[in-house]
Amino acid sequence: MNPAARWTGIALLLFGSTVFLWKVLALDLPLVPSDPQGLWRVDLTITARGTGRRGSVQAPLPSSGTGQVVFDERSVSDRLVFSIRSDDDRRTGVWSGRFRGVHEIVHGFRVQLSEVETLLPEPPVAPPPASVAREYGEPSADFPSYAPEMRGVLETLPLPPLEDPVGRLRTIFAFVSDEIATASTGSDDAFLTLAAREGNEEGKSRLLVTLLRTAGIPARPVLGLRLRGDAEPQLAAWAEAWLGRSWISLSPVEGFFGRRPADRLVLQAGSLQGIRATGIQAVAFRYDALRQRLRPEELAVMMVPPNPVVASLSLYRLPVATQRVMRLLLVIPLGTLVVAAFRNVVGVPTFGTFMPVLIALALRESSLGLGLAMVAAVIAIGILGRVLLERLRLLLVPRLSILLCLVILGVTALAILGRSSESRQLVQGVLFPIVILTMLIERFSIVMAEEGLREALIRAMWSTLVAVSAYPVFQSRFAQHVMFGFPELVFCVMGLLVLMGSYTGYRVSDLIRFRVFSRPAGGATP
Amino acid sequence: MRLLRTLRREGVLGINRRNAQYTLRVNPRRFYPRVDDKLLSKRLCQAAGIPVPALYAVARHHFELRDLPHRLAAHASFVMKPAHGAQGDGILVIWDRREDRLLRSGGLWIRTADLVYHASGIISGLYALGGQTDQVLVEERLEVHPELAEITFEGVPDVRVIVYRGIPVMVMTRLPTRRSGGRANLHQGAIGAGVSLADGRTLHAVVRNDPIHVHPDTGRPLLGRTIPDFTRLLEIAVQASEQTGLGYVGCDVVVDTRRGPVVLELNARPGLAIQIANRAGLLPRLDAVDRLGEAERALPLAERVALGRQIAAGRTP
Repeated sequence: MNPAARWTGIALLLFGSTVFLWKVLALDLPLVPSDPQGLWRVDLTITARGTGRRGSVQAPLPSSGTGQVVFDERSVSDRLVFSIRSDDDRRTGVWSGRFRGVHEIVHGFRVQLSEVETLLPEPPVAPPPASVAREYGEPSADFPSYAPEMRGVLETLPLPPLEDPVGRLRTIFAFVSDEIATASTGSDDAFLTLAAREGNEEGKSRLLVTLLRTAGIPARPVLGLRLRGDAEPQLAAWAEAWLGRSWISLSPVEGFFGRRPADRLVLQAGSLQGIRATGIQAVAFRYDALRQRLRPEELAVMMVPPNPVVASLSLYRLPVATQRVMRLLLVIPLGTLVVAAFRNVVGVPTFGTFMPVLIALALRESSLGLGLAMVAAVIAIGILGRVLLERLRLLLVPRLSILLCLVILGVTALAILGRSSESRQLVQGVLFPIVILTMLIERFSIVMAEEGLREALIRAMWSTLVAVSAYPVFQSRFAQHVMFGFPELVFCVMGLLVLMGSYTGYRVSDLIRFRVFSRPAGGATP
Repeated sequence: MRLLRTLRREGVLGINRRNAQYTLRVNPRRFYPRVDDKLLSKRLCQAAGIPVPALYAVARHHFELRDLPHRLAAHASFVMKPAHGAQGDGILVIWDRREDRLLRSGGLWIRTADLVYHASGIISGLYALGGQTDQVLVEERLEVHPELAEITFEGVPDVRVIVYRGIPVMVMTRLPTRRSGGRANLHQGAIGAGVSLADGRTLHAVVRNDPIHVHPDTGRPLLGRTIPDFTRLLEIAVQASEQTGLGYVGCDVVVDTRRGPVVLELNARPGLAIQIANRAGLLPRLDAVDRLGEAERALPLAERVALGRQIAAGRTP
């Protein structure tokens, strides 16, 4: 290896990695595309039908609190007047007006959820504040804590004394969790649930709240959503009890105690009443939830460093459309690194130098399977076209152009056939790759004419193989994030390429080719 | 790993090293046309008095092809080739003619229309290295010397001489076989036989990577044959390489029955398989040439050939 090249390579590597490390260590830019976990977009869609009378629809709206931050709320009120009523920490959305025909109300918001874990207080536990005791410790119609039946139950339980509310809580929780069966067909009423020893989620939660109030612990029910990545969210009910200084979450159905999982969204605490409507004929509602990623501009806030000079160089300040292009461009150097390694260290033949990079881009734009199918189809058309066009004795350029037309026809057929199933993927995935694959067919036909089908197929195979090897790089969100956030790494890539370019050792293909040298010389004597 | 050590010990030249330390260093890019364009190399050689196959016709444009059969009417046999071809692609050899029928190598009769179609493919760049438009050369068909014809199936065997900075360093002869389709191309299955620089005798022969003693198609022994007029052959190879201005050249010479050694073409990136045919690495010889002084490099032709023979024999001057 010549010294000039070695030092140039090392200098480039050092420069790139110094800037990179400085940005990571000193400026504290995140290295991993760290989408915060538990970011969701939730939409509530209410369909209401009316006959022209005045009416209103009310729905509980979640508010920000422990473990959940609600933001970016948007409402489509469809000819109605929308207002939000807040009392205490409860928010209710009210849509009112004259309901005529079908109205579709959409209330959407984004929410950042995290798991909440509450430490149970050590005794002596402070008594609850008067406001909490008044609001959540007294009997009510829903929570008949005065009822003799409730007292009767408590008398059968081995309840610790009043000074140990944590122990009392545990005992009551264990009773409702274990002694009362859970059934979706069960009752949602505290009395009936106790009498039947069976209730649904709401019934068991109500019973738990009632028994806790009977035992002198302020408690309230919680209406929430169980968010799931791959299915519709489900309405859920659980309970909260006041202990010491805070509310702790309890689910007699799912068994969480002192903890709220990160996929629970609190819609409303204190009441299980969901969507209500007055003065209208029919109402239906649906919740939809989708896991969210940060939008580019939000990620930018994370990725633009405080240092104004570095900030002015940050690619995250570019317009979003430009950013998308730059993201793609900046991973190409990594792709070239893969190709260079395959060509100069392994020594495989490919079409041209960067055809594999282009094929990898094509694969990235469509999907791996679809892309490979397209590559295979293009090669098949190339072979077919040669067989068919050979007899016509056409000049080179028109002949290649005819092959391109065949490729386009093939894609057209594919698009028509695929219309029913995955047409959107096809249309999106096909347009850009086709430009690349038309170049592939030209190279393939030329090699086939010059060096025969065998050689052309070998090169096609290697080109595709190298492309597939580079594909994970192009596909990787991490690689994209790192190259885009730290474009100085291109200098490191260049350094590696300089080092690779001055590698004068044997290629793997040399070793295979010259392997006869390791056999004893045969027939060398004349 | 053992293989790696063996290759290092034998001084086998790999592709990366050939490119970085030899072709890139001593072959200036601007002189490449002198070897890639066969018409230009032919003219350079002719001007220097180096024997080359006689040129019958050249065509650059499609319209020139119409009277091409007419221009070739006087020649019963000839070779049509692209000026920028590689690896013997696109070469059409005509052995004989009868009225408007032509006998191509391999014994197939074709029509003149086929000839014109082939020429038009050449002009379109079908066989050119970069796919650009090309020229058609039609030249004299050489008569293979009987000594080599015995160990050749159809086709024309050639002698490849690697000339490094004016000194011949390694020689092999490439013998077409049935498998190579009559082409002197090792890739396609021709035999490569290493030739001793000292006396022009074949020492060792391989087909693909396997040693071979007898020509598979003619059944004649391959080893111990002497290349006719070998010293003259080395001299014209060195002379031809000097015309190119390149420092690392593969010169392909054909030994014609009547004319003796004739330079067929030159190559700026000669392949490395010659090392397998000779069962010897190029590096020790290239290094020995690099160690020579200016005075030795300026020696007269005959003495430089002698120097190359000494180096090849392992006696470094």
